[in-house]
Amino acid sequence: MNDIIIAGIGGQGNILLSRVVCQLFMNRGFDVKSAENIGMSQRGGSVVSYVRVGDDVGPIVPDGRADILIGLEISEAARSINKVNKNSLIVLNDRFVRPKNSDLKKQRILKFFEENFPKLYIVNAHTIAFELNIPKAENITMLTLICKKGILPFSKEEILKALKQVLSPRMYEMNKILVEKIYERY
Amino acid sequence: MKKVLMGNEAVAYSLFINGVNVAVGYPGTPSTEVIETLKNFQDDDFYVEWSTNEKVALEIAAGASLSGARTVATMKQVGLNVAADPLLSLSVVGVEGGLLVFVADDPGPHSSQTEQDTRNFARFCNLPVFDPSSPKEAFELIKPAFEISEKYKLPVLFRMTTRVCHSNQSIEFEFKREKRKIKGFEKKPDWVILPALSYKKHMELEQKLQDMKKELSAYNKVEGRGKIGIVSGGISYFYVKEAIKGFEDLFSILKITVVHPLDEGLVLEFAKDKQMLIFIEELDPVLEEEVKLILFENGKFIPTYGKRNGYVQFAGELDVDKVRDIFHKIFSDRRFLAKNTFTDVLQTPKRQAQLCAGCPHRSSFLIVKYAAKGQDVIFTGDIGCYTLGFAKPISTTDTCLCMGASITMAQGIKISDCSKKVIAFIGDSTFFHSGITGLVNSYYNRHNITICILDNLTTGMTGFQPHPGTGKKIYGKEGRKVSIESLVKGIGIEKILVIDPYLSFAENVDKVRKFLNDEELGVIVFRRECANLKSRESYFKINQNCSKCKVCLEVTGCPAIDEDENGKLFIDSTLCNGCGLCENFCRYSAIEKVMVK
Ligand code: SF4
Ligand code: SF4
Repeated sequence: MNDIIIAGIGGQGNILLSRVVCQLFMNRGFDVKSAENIGMSQRGGSVVSYVRVGDDVGPIVPDGRADILIGLEISEAARSINKVNKNSLIVLNDRFVRPKNSDLKKQRILKFFEENFPKLYIVNAHTIAFELNIPKAENITMLTLICKKGILPFSKEEILKALKQVLSPRMYEMNKILVEKIYERY
Repeated sequence: MKKVLMGNEAVAYSLFINGVNVAVGYPGTPSTEVIETLKNFQDDDFYVEWSTNEKVALEIAAGASLSGARTVATMKQVGLNVAADPLLSLSVVGVEGGLLVFVADDPGPHSSQTEQDTRNFARFCNLPVFDPSSPKEAFELIKPAFEISEKYKLPVLFRMTTRVCHSNQSIEFEFKREKRKIKGFEKKPDWVILPALSYKKHMELEQKLQDMKKELSAYNKVEGRGKIGIVSGGISYFYVKEAIKGFEDLFSILKITVVHPLDEGLVLEFAKDKQMLIFIEELDPVLEEEVKLILFENGKFIPTYGKRNGYVQFAGELDVDKVRDIFHKIFSDRRFLAKNTFTDVLQTPKRQAQLCAGCPHRSSFLIVKYAAKGQDVIFTGDIGCYTLGFAKPISTTDTCLCMGASITMAQGIKISDCSKKVIAFIGDSTFFHSGITGLVNSYYNRHNITICILDNLTTGMTGFQPHPGTGKKIYGKEGRKVSIESLVKGIGIEKILVIDPYLSFAENVDKVRKFLNDEELGVIVFRRECANLKSRESYFKINQNCSKCKVCLEVTGCPAIDEDENGKLFIDSTLCNGCGLCENFCRYSAIEKVMVK
């Protein structure tokens, strides 16, 4: 069983990313289930998606059970830590958007992750998406980087195939260029 | 083909495959995607629309059904309240072509004013209700739901909850539409509900419910043979299955998919050898009460654990961990306790929902707030993105009840507390949904309030659906456009002001202040499209002139403005929509415009 959590803030493409991840697993022959919160959360709120590989389960990952946590934003990743355990794989986007009226510090959160999780990776999807001039594509940038570094076991061809299945043709063309560029340059 | 479908999409696919002819609804989270998906399908005998409200939608569905069409009306749980009037009558009148009322409940709630339970509504209207546990099950149940509706000539409620509506699952199916012939409207005295007929039909309705019980029982099932019986349904069924992993031998599950009307046979058979029954369900204790009643009527006594004796919560959602906690409470067995090591160590504060950066409503609220400064004012609010006008620092919403109530509650407040000025805010879609009748009332009864219609040319909250004011129909095709101003004038109201909230703040405040000065009934239309509808032409940035006074941030609360770790203010260039509102409050000319190339 693979339980994956994707945490971020509204507008980062969290839900699309979870759809692509579902498609990746489905293309390998697995049944998948996933859940996401939409609605109010779109208005700048927290967005969490759960992807579960396997069919005979509910859509929400129970506490302490996630195998992988993908944080598109650092403080949102922190919010989901009750879902992971010491063996979980944690991948963080180097992006911090302070929740208003809080004194949360990026460094403090990162330190916590470093101290508690041996399998921690930090990728700079935010900067790279910005450099490639597609600031709204942090999600696919993140996925591509994770796969390229071998953190998730999917090939470039598999990513492109899944994107083609999930995205509209126009969006696919844009993201295809993005994926190619990342594989070339980073 | 095999596809990952969201629960609501699965319903839409299945409706289409099973020959739905007419699909109508009003958007509301978590129900919206059913119509949003259906609109992508086309056929010469298929019609889909967004209606002005749920009552309108259900009545259209009723008319179509009496003509023999397969129909669905979609809404969220509070929408069902609006459609309650036709629904209760329809349960007596009956239908011809299959009619499903798709209702999405929102335990939690994630984005609703109430947590009401549509299964209870089904008991109240005396109608059958399906309650699927997963997208796949929802997909499979649409067909029998139509068949039951047609066989017994009754509307059927198809109820789902947020976690089923908005979860995704891989589903294998053949995308082939079943074609049915619509036989057309046939005149029958049955279609005219009069008191005498109503009595006769009520008796028939009770009989129909008795008759369909056995048939419906086939959708409920028993799993396992343990001595501890769990009764569950909907999404909770999966929470139960996961919570008993490793202890399966001890338990058996009665999964109830059709809770009303509920057949005694299966329940008694299940209860026969059980030491106890545990009821795991969200919201109201509907399964618990129905099952207990059957046990009582049949002289059975078994210890039970559920909501009625405090073991299961009445409000909010369940999940696997909460279900394990319930088992722990019942059995005092620590093995059921959740094993999370990291609860809340970092205490990440809640991210409050807020109006988007550049949302025209933010300007509109502030214009009214500044124009009304110094006066004793009450602001009534309504349902939509702009409900967020209650949040700090805008704080311009003192009440919020249900769709359309801002205008009518304002009148009630004015009657009882006439020394105050009362200003009602309502969005464009909500105005068409149920604001108009209130407006007519204020004119007729001479209630002197001010009504601000926040027209952002879309239904923002649910994902930008069109409505009568946009003149666009569901596929983006031309419909006819209803002009809010002409409508208001048509009622007889003469005092009308139209304002673009993006234009000069000071001038706008001036205009509104003058408008508020006399006590007449008046309507201000704030018109500017939702910030998400158009790509921005410019964004703003904060330069070195900034004195760190934070006025821009503190007055507007715009999410694009923030303070970094050194107390320096900045505007997030990816979020800013270039509305220019913040610029109005900076006394140091520190906020400057950057054009997008
Ligand atoms: S111009 Fe100012 S108020 Fe408007 S979106 Fe940008 S930062 Fe926010
Ligand atoms: S979606 Fe549109 S109306 Fe709603 S808060 Fe955002 S900008 Fe405002």
